[in-house]
Amino acid sequence: MICAFCTFEFDEKLAQHSCSGCLKLGGCSMIKCPRCSYESPPEPEWIKKFNRLFKKGKR
Amino acid sequence: MNTPAEASNNEARDLKKVFLVGSPNVGKSAIFNALTGSYVTVSNYPGTTVDISSGKMKIGRHHQFKIVDTPGMYSLKPITQEENVGRKLIFKERPDCILHVVDAKNLERMLPLTLQLIETGLPVILVLNLYDELLARGMQLHIAHLEHDLGIPVVETVAIRSLGIDNLSSRIVEVMENRYRFNTVELKYSDEIEENVAKISGLIKKDYSISKKTLASLIIQNDKDVLDMVKGEGDFDKIKALSDNTVSSQVRYKISHERQEKARDIITEHLVVDETRKRGVWRERLSQLMVHPIFGLPILALVLWFGLYKFVGEFGAGTMVNFIETNIFENIINPKVDIVFHSIFGDNMFFDLFAGEYGIITLGVRYAIAIIFPIVATFFIAFSVIEDTGYLPRLAMLVDRVFKKIGLSGRAVIPLTLGFGCDTMATIVTRTLETKRERIIATFLLSLAIPCSAQLGVLLGLMAGNPKMLFIWALTIIAVFLITGFLAKRLVKGEDTGFFMEMPPLRLPSLMNVFTKTYTRMIWYFKEVIPIFIMASVAIWFGKLTGIFDFLVRVISYPVTWAGMPEGASPAFLYGFFRRDFGAAGLFDLTKKGILDGNGLLVSAVVLTLFVPCVAQFAVMWKERGKGMAIGMALFIFPFAFFVGFLVNIILNALGVQL
Repeated sequence: MICAFCTFEFDEKLAQHSCSGCLKLGGCSMIKCPRCSYESPPEPEWIKKFNRLFKKGKR
Repeated sequence: MNTPAEASNNEARDLKKVFLVGSPNVGKSAIFNALTGSYVTVSNYPGTTVDISSGKMKIGRHHQFKIVDTPGMYSLKPITQEENVGRKLIFKERPDCILHVVDAKNLERMLPLTLQLIETGLPVILVLNLYDELLARGMQLHIAHLEHDLGIPVVETVAIRSLGIDNLSSRIVEVMENRYRFNTVELKYSDEIEENVAKISGLIKKDYSISKKTLASLIIQNDKDVLDMVKGEGDFDKIKALSDNTVSSQVRYKISHERQEKARDIITEHLVVDETRKRGVWRERLSQLMVHPIFGLPILALVLWFGLYKFVGEFGAGTMVNFIETNIFENIINPKVDIVFHSIFGDNMFFDLFAGEYGIITLGVRYAIAIIFPIVATFFIAFSVIEDTGYLPRLAMLVDRVFKKIGLSGRAVIPLTLGFGCDTMATIVTRTLETKRERIIATFLLSLAIPCSAQLGVLLGLMAGNPKMLFIWALTIIAVFLITGFLAKRLVKGEDTGFFMEMPPLRLPSLMNVFTKTYTRMIWYFKEVIPIFIMASVAIWFGKLTGIFDFLVRVISYPVTWAGMPEGASPAFLYGFFRRDFGAAGLFDLTKKGILDGNGLLVSAVVLTLFVPCVAQFAVMWKERGKGMAIGMALFIFPFAFFVGFLVNIILNALGVQL
């Protein structure tokens, strides 16, 4: 994914999740940019699939 | 005798090495594919999950090289695991030639890494990829002059169309055969840095195949890996002492800044812009205005006016909330819920749990769906648009100067901006700030003066019809933010920090991006908010049954009336303990019922904005900053919020202002 703050591109699976230890139910599951620490919510699977389809269609 | 596999490995080992280096999205892989064809192997770097692609490159009949595609990196001072692996490869494998692949149209952003690579003393070729996009923007580079000034080969390519690849291949051969005379530019840092770099360089005696200047400049930035590299030096203790004696964060800032300045000078000299086709230049000018200390402010005011006030305040919290609240909940859902639950439970206490004034559906769900939903939806749309344009890093640069006065740096824009989404999450993010002082001040300001999205939206909606009231509220909160921050800086000891970041290009927001971000944030928000609102409704129901609720309302009514608000406003502040937005929604209800007049509403809005952090945020403050700090902050904030409300009320009365 691409960080919305600094536009660094990183692998979502390798990125740190920031929610450990806070009181929220199930944690906030935000994904932290490894470069600037800006947090973004993870893209839902269906949107990822849709994007992939869209990209394929473009080619 | 060697097996064919061993022979192939030996051959690969003996080949001269070409490394591809560069940040993500510059077409490094396209260059790699164009140079290697299909001879590619992919393996993990030992001990990591980072993929490294390598292959063979054949040029004519006589030349064969090993080519390695290193992970994306922005700097030789690594932050991410990928950058760390990339640097290890360069430092340990000693490439015979480095191809620094850059996006030609964003050369200014990427040239600092070229300067760093040149400084290592390794042979570097600058590859200006995506050159067609630069031309399409009406720009052109004096390549020969650029090559002359940098003292390294410079090649323009469009890798996906294989343009410039032949030229690049012949330049690689030229370098490999030592036919190219490198006459590299030397970046002179400021005197203080040069002095320390020279001292450390003088103490490094062994050969590391990387220039001593590079090693020394990383050591004064307190780079642990590089310090480990030179551990075997006889004067290691002296090197370590020099590293410890520098304020690494300030040095890092200065070095990055000086490199960026040098890059800007080079670009200014060699970039030619066609004035008739200056689409890119227009963006660049706007970008410069956005970070300008004077012109940046009206731009910020415009962003806040249209993004927050008009769209979130007037449209979201005004039009949409009125429609859903009045037309759907008040006229349809709530009366039906009352009838249904009355028919089931009659007038007993379980009726009050689900329906009536404080029921789970009539209060908790109504607050979440009718008040909070339209507000956070519009807020997240506005926020996603702002985020997607690339405005936030410019905002960080704009406020950096002001933030320094309150003990923070532009980097604090990240947690403070996230605080407008959710203060609890933002409090966790403060751990990324460099110094303890910054972390303490940012935590304090988040819990005092940064309203969360829904709270802000409700307050904007309440005051949207009265710009004078909104202006006084904003002025009060900004004054509290700056004055308390200024005092906190004097109270909390610690060093000042510098801030510098590469500016990503400004861009038009993409509809798909805005939709995705808004949707995912809404889902995240509602997963969190609905259970808490329901729990709060149950807690209020239980409190009313036992009399605790009325007792607490009575207790809180003392500071409420003292600050000049009507006693009826007290329940909203009690709700605020559960969540700030729950309290704000309570205020919305009170205003609708006519309990608050103009002045009362302003004072309530001020107090509720500054009011104690919600339960979740308080718990995170406790965890992140320790119990003493968390309790201390809460004990200060609670009376302080009412005190500010009291002052606002006194001033309004003294001036005879009636809103």
